[in-house]
Amino acid sequence: MKRQFTVAAAIVAALSISLSAQWPRRGQTGIPKGPDGKINLAAPAPRAADGRPDLSGIWDVSPRREKPGSAPPGQPPLAVFANLAASMVGGLPFQPWAAELSKKRVANLRYDNPDALCFPQGPLQYHLDPQPRQVYQMPGRTLIVYESNYGLRTIYTDGRPLPPPGEPQPYWHGYSIGRWEGDTFVVESSSFRGVQGGLAADGWLDQMGSPFTDALRLTERFRRVNFGNLHIDITIDDPKAYTSPFTVRVEHVVVADGWELAEFICHENQKFLEMTGRAVQK
Amino acid sequence: MRTGLAIVMCVALIAASGRALAHHSFAAEFDENKPVKLTGTVNKVEWTNPHIWFFMDVKSPDGTVTNWGFEMASPNGLLRAGWKRDSMKVGDVVAVEARQARDGSHNANAQTVVLSSTGQRLFAGSPVQPAP
Repeated sequence: MKRQFTVAAAIVAALSISLSAQWPRRGQTGIPKGPDGKINLAAPAPRAADGRPDLSGIWDVSPRREKPGSAPPGQPPLAVFANLAASMVGGLPFQPWAAELSKKRVANLRYDNPDALCFPQGPLQYHLDPQPRQVYQMPGRTLIVYESNYGLRTIYTDGRPLPPPGEPQPYWHGYSIGRWEGDTFVVESSSFRGVQGGLAADGWLDQMGSPFTDALRLTERFRRVNFGNLHIDITIDDPKAYTSPFTVRVEHVVVADGWELAEFICHENQKFLEMTGRAVQK
Repeated sequence: MRTGLAIVMCVALIAASGRALAHHSFAAEFDENKPVKLTGTVNKVEWTNPHIWFFMDVKSPDGTVTNWGFEMASPNGLLRAGWKRDSMKVGDVVAVEARQARDGSHNANAQTVVLSSTGQRLFAGSPVQPAP
């Protein structure tokens, strides 16, 4: 029953999107095309004025999936929205309390998922959400605007160091600085609120409610391997929640057919609160 | 060719299913074991984030009228699929298959919405049907 419903719902959803043609698109410049006139996703990655790869663009999460343990040697297991450990063998190296909290959050039907409550998502949720995100690479900083919950991340690239942890205050999105190592954009983040933020929606790394704490040190290595594909290898180092650091892969594909981000103001008509008994029914 | 099409459809299915269903924990609000099939007249459409809602009056055999509310996808996915905020109109008679709210209220998550006058499936597929 459950499976039938899930499959049916997925088909309905797929049909509602796959024939997309009417969204008012805007013509885009600088799109490499093949002899057939189609976008050439395998064309070389564009370069910014400083010669670095330009990560700018709108990105969707890749539909690629892999079996647990099947990533090629040296390549981190692929994370997916539903579960960042979906392709890992043996699951995440939880501290005991973190494993318990994840189980409790799932058993509670993800009642406090920040995504559902219109709070900023956890870093892996943002990377993996099916809604697109737009990267703006510019001198001194790179911005990522997430359509989901209209999140904004600022990654400073002006050479500043990370502030002392938690200063001037912990952020939902953490505090991020970036630098180039060859053609790889390396982003380090700290000063996250984590579960110490105090709300039940704080410290959700993914949809499984895998926790993170104020000790989280996140390292993301972005590589635009060609025009159409962006690979991000993400290391989660949070000794309060995990017994060892671990790394997962996120893959994005470019959106270059004229779609743009749509405004998404999550609190506009947030019936989830009413439906789960946390607000008075209007 | 057929295999190619199947792959394309599978990719589209995987890519798209999350987008339309991603936002909320369905299970926290609705009970998949409470299917409902209702036909009624739309009296309100809320084209809003994070989910579209519409309301309709359902007349029971004894003549009593109950107003039901239905949650649908987010506007962004439907806009990209070509639907417009006035694609469903007040006064439309629609048949809905849905899953009812856990709290037993007259709210449900709509899976299919069919316009009774034409048989068109609202907010599913593209509003402009491709050539067969």
